[in-house]
Amino acid sequence: MKFLERLFSPFAALSNRTFTILIIIDCVIALVLWQLFASGGLIPTPEKIAASVLRIVGTGDFFDNLFASLTLTLKGMGISIVIALAICYLSVVPIFYPIAKFIIKCRYLTLTGLIFLFTLLTSNGHNLKISLLIFGIVPFFVTSFLSIIDGINTQEYELCKTLRMNNWQTLLEVVVIGRLDQVLEVMRQNFAIAWMMITMVEGLNMSEGGLGTMLIKSNKYIDLGTVFAILVIIFSLGVCFDFLLAKLRTWFFPYTKLQVRSNV
Amino acid sequence: MYKKEEIILQVKGVNLTYDRPILRDINFDIHNVTRPGMVTGQIVSLIGRSGIGKTQLFRILSGLLTPNSGTVCIDADLHPVVAGQIGVVPQNYILFNHRTILDNFKIGLRGAVEKSTEKQKEELIHDYAERFELKEHLHKYPAQLSGGQRQRVSILQQILTGHKFILMDEPFSGLDPVIKDKVLELMVSVASLSELSTIIIISHDIESALAISDTAFILANQKGKEGSTITETIDLMSMGFSWNPDIKQNKNFQELVSQMKFRM
Repeated sequence: MKFLERLFSPFAALSNRTFTILIIIDCVIALVLWQLFASGGLIPTPEKIAASVLRIVGTGDFFDNLFASLTLTLKGMGISIVIALAICYLSVVPIFYPIAKFIIKCRYLTLTGLIFLFTLLTSNGHNLKISLLIFGIVPFFVTSFLSIIDGINTQEYELCKTLRMNNWQTLLEVVVIGRLDQVLEVMRQNFAIAWMMITMVEGLNMSEGGLGTMLIKSNKYIDLGTVFAILVIIFSLGVCFDFLLAKLRTWFFPYTKLQVRSNV
Repeated sequence: MYKKEEIILQVKGVNLTYDRPILRDINFDIHNVTRPGMVTGQIVSLIGRSGIGKTQLFRILSGLLTPNSGTVCIDADLHPVVAGQIGVVPQNYILFNHRTILDNFKIGLRGAVEKSTEKQKEELIHDYAERFELKEHLHKYPAQLSGGQRQRVSILQQILTGHKFILMDEPFSGLDPVIKDKVLELMVSVASLSELSTIIIISHDIESALAISDTAFILANQKGKEGSTITETIDLMSMGFSWNPDIKQNKNFQELVSQMKFRM
C-alpha cells in the first residue's frame, strides 16, 4: 500500500529497478489498450504493425533506405554542428554577436517557403536535402548552445583572468574545452529535430530513397500498416541514437557523471 | 621582534557606487612585515558584516572590478593592480571541473612568470601536492573532492601561478571547527612560503580571521553616511596576538573578539 502511495506522491524517490518495471508496465498497458480499441478500426493494431515491421525489415531495399536516411542525417548533423559551433564560439566576439542572435530568430522561418530558393541555389537533390537540413538544424543548435554559454558562471572567466590567461585562452578553456560535453548533450537534443526533418526533406527528392521516401510512398497508397511500421522503426532508431549519444557523453567526459559535493 | 618595512599594497580613496554608494573612501596600507631569522609573510583581514560590500572590495582589490574612483597599487613600486596580478580564491572555490586536479595545477603553472620544463612542472606540482595533502587526489576531478580539499586545490593553483598576494573570500564559511583549524594552519603555512607572501582574508568570522592575522581592517557603516568604509585598524602585532597558534585560548584575545563583535 505504501509503495502504491509513493507512486502517486510528488518528488517520491524510486529505485532504477522500480522505474524500469514502471515503464514496462506502462508500455504493456498502452499496447493492450491500443490492441483493444484499434481492433477493426482505421488505426492498425500493434500486432499488425509488428507484422509489418518484420516484413519491411525482411525486404532487401529496407537497409538501403535506412542507410540513405542515416548517412543523410549524419552528414547534415555533422555540417550543422560545425557551422553552429563556429557561430556560437564566435558569438562571444562582439562583432559576431548580432549574427548569432539573428540565427536564433531564424527558428521562426518556415522551410516550406524557402524550398524554391534552395532548389535554385543547389545543384542537385542531395545538396538540396543537405542544405535544408542544415538550415533547419543550425538555428535550434545555436539557440541551445548559446543558452549554455550564457549560463556560464562569470567566476569561471574571472578564474582565467587570475591565472593570467588572455581572452582567447579564456574562450578556449571555458567555452570550447570546458563545454565539449555540453556539445554532445545539445547534439542529443537536436538529433531529434534532424531525425524528424529527414522524412520531410527526403520527400522533396526521392531518387536517393530513404525512410522518408518509404513513408511517403506508403502514405500515397493509404497503406497504414506500413506507415505505422515505418514510424515505429523511425521512433525506435531515434530512441537508440538518444541512448547512444547519452552514453557517448559519459564515455568521453566521465566528469559529467560526477556531482559537485557540498562544502566540507 | 618585528619590523614594518615598505608598503606592498596601498588602497587609496576607493569609492564604489551602483544605484547607491556601496564603498566610501576606502584607505589602507599593507606593509611588508619582517622578523629576524625567519620568513614572515603577511596575513591581513578585512572584516565586516554580511552585505556590507566585502565581496565588491574583494573584486576591486583583485583588479576584477574598477572602482568609480580611487586606486589599488601593489608591489614595491606601487603600480596599479591589474587582474592576474593578485591570486583569488572565491568562496565557492571555482575550479575547471572538466579537468583533473593535476591539469588544474598545470593550468596554474602555465600562467607563471617563471617558465619551466614539463619535468620541472611535474616535480613542482608533486612537491606542493605532498605539502597540501593532495597527492592522492591529483588524478581526480574537482567534483570528487570535499569542500576543504577543493579550497586547498584552489589556493595551490593560485600559488603555482606565482601569486604573492592571495585574496580569500570567506574562507571559513561552512567549515566545521576541526576543518577550520586546519584551514587556519594552511593559511599560516602559505603565508610563510616567502617574505612577500601576503594573504588577504575577507570574512565575517571575526575570531578565526583575527586568530591568524597581523593586521585587521574593519569594514562598517558610519552613522549618517551611506556606503561602508574602514572604520578601524587593529594592529594585532603590537597587541602581541600575532604568530601565536594558541591565541584563541588567550583571555585578552577573546575580549578583543567580543569587543569587535559588539562594535560591528
